[in-house]
Amino acid sequence: MIESPPKEIPSIIVQSKNKLTTPMLKRIFTLFLFAALTKFSTAQFNTLWIPDTLSGTTFNLNLIDTFKQIRSGNQTVTAGVNSDFWGPTLFFNKGDTVHMNVHNYLNDSTTLHWHGMHLPAVMDGGPHQVIPPGTIWQPYWKVANNAATYWYHPHLHEMTQEQMTKGLGGFIIVRDPQEAALALPRTYGVDDIPLMLTSRSYNGSNAFLYTNTSYGDYMLTNGIPSAQVNLPKQMVRLRILNAEMERAYNLGFSDGRTFYVIGNDGGLLNAPVAETRVILAVGERIEILVDLGTNNIGDTVNLNAYNGGFALGFPGGEPAQGGQFGSLLNNKTFTLLHINVTAATANAITALPVALANNTYWTASDATVNKTVTVTGGLPNQPGNPFGFENTHFDFNVINKTVNLNDIEKWTITNSNVFGHAFHIHDVEFKLVSRSTGAVGAYESGWKDVLYLPLGSSATFVAKFDDYSDSIHPFMYHCHFGPHEDGGMMGQFVVKGDNTSGIAEANVGTDFNLYPNPAHNKLFIQFPEENAGVYYVRMSDIAGRSVYMLPQPQLNNGIDIANLPSGIYLVALTDSKFNTITKKFIKD
Amino acid sequence: MTVVLLLFLLCTSAAETEKRIVKDFSLQNVDGKIISTKDYKDAKGFVVIFTCIHCPFAKLYHERLNQLHAKYSKLHIPLLLINSSDTIMFANESLANMAKVAKEMKYSFPYLFDPSQTVAKDFKAEKTPHAFVIWKENKQWIIKYSGAIDDNGAHPELVKSTYIANALDELLAGKPVTVSCGYSIGCAIHYRK
Ligand SMILES: [Cu+2]
Repeated sequence: MIESPPKEIPSIIVQSKNKLTTPMLKRIFTLFLFAALTKFSTAQFNTLWIPDTLSGTTFNLNLIDTFKQIRSGNQTVTAGVNSDFWGPTLFFNKGDTVHMNVHNYLNDSTTLHWHGMHLPAVMDGGPHQVIPPGTIWQPYWKVANNAATYWYHPHLHEMTQEQMTKGLGGFIIVRDPQEAALALPRTYGVDDIPLMLTSRSYNGSNAFLYTNTSYGDYMLTNGIPSAQVNLPKQMVRLRILNAEMERAYNLGFSDGRTFYVIGNDGGLLNAPVAETRVILAVGERIEILVDLGTNNIGDTVNLNAYNGGFALGFPGGEPAQGGQFGSLLNNKTFTLLHINVTAATANAITALPVALANNTYWTASDATVNKTVTVTGGLPNQPGNPFGFENTHFDFNVINKTVNLNDIEKWTITNSNVFGHAFHIHDVEFKLVSRSTGAVGAYESGWKDVLYLPLGSSATFVAKFDDYSDSIHPFMYHCHFGPHEDGGMMGQFVVKGDNTSGIAEANVGTDFNLYPNPAHNKLFIQFPEENAGVYYVRMSDIAGRSVYMLPQPQLNNGIDIANLPSGIYLVALTDSKFNTITKKFIKD
Repeated sequence: MTVVLLLFLLCTSAAETEKRIVKDFSLQNVDGKIISTKDYKDAKGFVVIFTCIHCPFAKLYHERLNQLHAKYSKLHIPLLLINSSDTIMFANESLANMAKVAKEMKYSFPYLFDPSQTVAKDFKAEKTPHAFVIWKENKQWIIKYSGAIDDNGAHPELVKSTYIANALDELLAGKPVTVSCGYSIGCAIHYRK
């Protein structure tokens, strides 16, 4: 578990040399030799952590401040979800309605965004759904996404980089019958491995750095430095997420082998795509199959980032080793995961499927509305004008774009600016239909929610904005680089329709009753008026301490208050016109 | 923007930290009594440590706080432990719960309640734990050290630098403090707006 940075060993010798006698030097030389040998054997690798799993339809996620022994010396202060870094992998079945209990035990407010999920804006966990410390937020939605690898992460404006750096986040794996019918590896942690790629820099006390820094100096793969994993001699599936702040990974294997891309952000490709290198930008996921069947047991192979030699604009290609835009991993090849080949498992998948899915993608001609987004700002000589879109920066009070429910739209994102970006849009999975740099790569031909936007290029996607409208609550589109989105490289759009988020227009009317009062386990809400509805319920104690946030609550079964301390509470009901009525009840 | 500013405050230049002056303060102790820095007529300085009940990193230091106080209070540098948590956000950070911790951990020093967060603001405390050494010079309290207690939270046996003890030993010997600024690490103190 403890990383031994090899660089420190020579420095000890250099510092002490003058005072040392020959026998002492010999001993230290032996020590150094031993350390050097272990460096090049397998001993310095640490076992890859596979996140725990949660499944079912109710998910309890506790966001905590904690610490973890990542390096030798002091522990690193971290944050995690039910864990000391990162969080559990959530397994959803397509078609299920999932209920989330997100309990914020952090010392600060946060939000939790379900990246890639198609859901109502008020459930999305964007910058608007701020969860104060001590509060339980209970969004729920019907899983409409295809089987693929998604993730959840904080999205609090101006705090995203800090909170993600500390480790908050986790994978979501959606299963569906189409994917389940295929002969694909899917034994989690055995032949189906989630890989969260990121890097960190540390100060002298091993604390993470997260201000004025774009790149980490040391890799963390699922939170583990110098990670290794034993994988069986058969076809294995890697679900790779770029959870960096800015760096892209030019993925490949140390023996130059061909691997097969089977899935993008939002689902399987129609057929596997053979590649030896694939660029994965921040926020993107890719599922690949790697054939270890031709290897011998005991073989090793590295999954590497071949990040050397890129032109300016490739995120992480900057040559500097230090400073805001430099790092020890910039502009070079480095290892992401060391793989040891072990014996095959029973029922191993050994063959590559010929076909995977039968996606019908949108084409440019399906779109009835065209929108453009242009990258601006970020010039080195204009420090007061960070990266943005259309020369503006995120403002809670400004809706930048409006979409009509069920429209198919074509968005063209243009970057003739100074650096590469990773463009992400909430609510939808889109189809990339063209790039100014040439054809859309086969490896990115599937459903996506993030696109890599190289410097000096434009990219066009088509998406249908269906199912959920909400004329008030926006979705986000933004650059997924932590420093860029925190700097305001975000816009918001609303999806306008006949109703709000698929439910009847919510209207609290003029009055409601809370019963029983006092209440002990469950609190019910009774409306004297027909067609009354609720858009949002917030509950706080008499001191003003927020305890519950319930978006579009399903009130038929009451609100579970069994775990609240006894006392007087305030219940505020808000309708979709933002009328709010507040009532008191006593928890006994 | 506030985030950026706060981080810089953690470790400004040593010279700047040494010049910072903090005010005398009086706060309620877990035994109900009001304790004031002015009550300590003989004090050459204080070890002032901001903590809270719930932060896992702060919980690692109970024993070391007792040891620091045992050694340095005899040398007229008592330890004052302060809880400046936002009690609106964190209901459990109450005087009653603090008293339970003080009893359980056999605290030999005052554990003071700062619900208005004024003392934490005067010190510019950032984290729990965040330790300070203040020293009396010309009838004023000067911050001589700000940062971590030592350099290993979970493993006291692996500590290499005892920042607080080192600073106190140097001050007692009439020397300037070599390391006047170590990173304080732990949970952020949530300041009530
Ligand atoms: Cu960007």
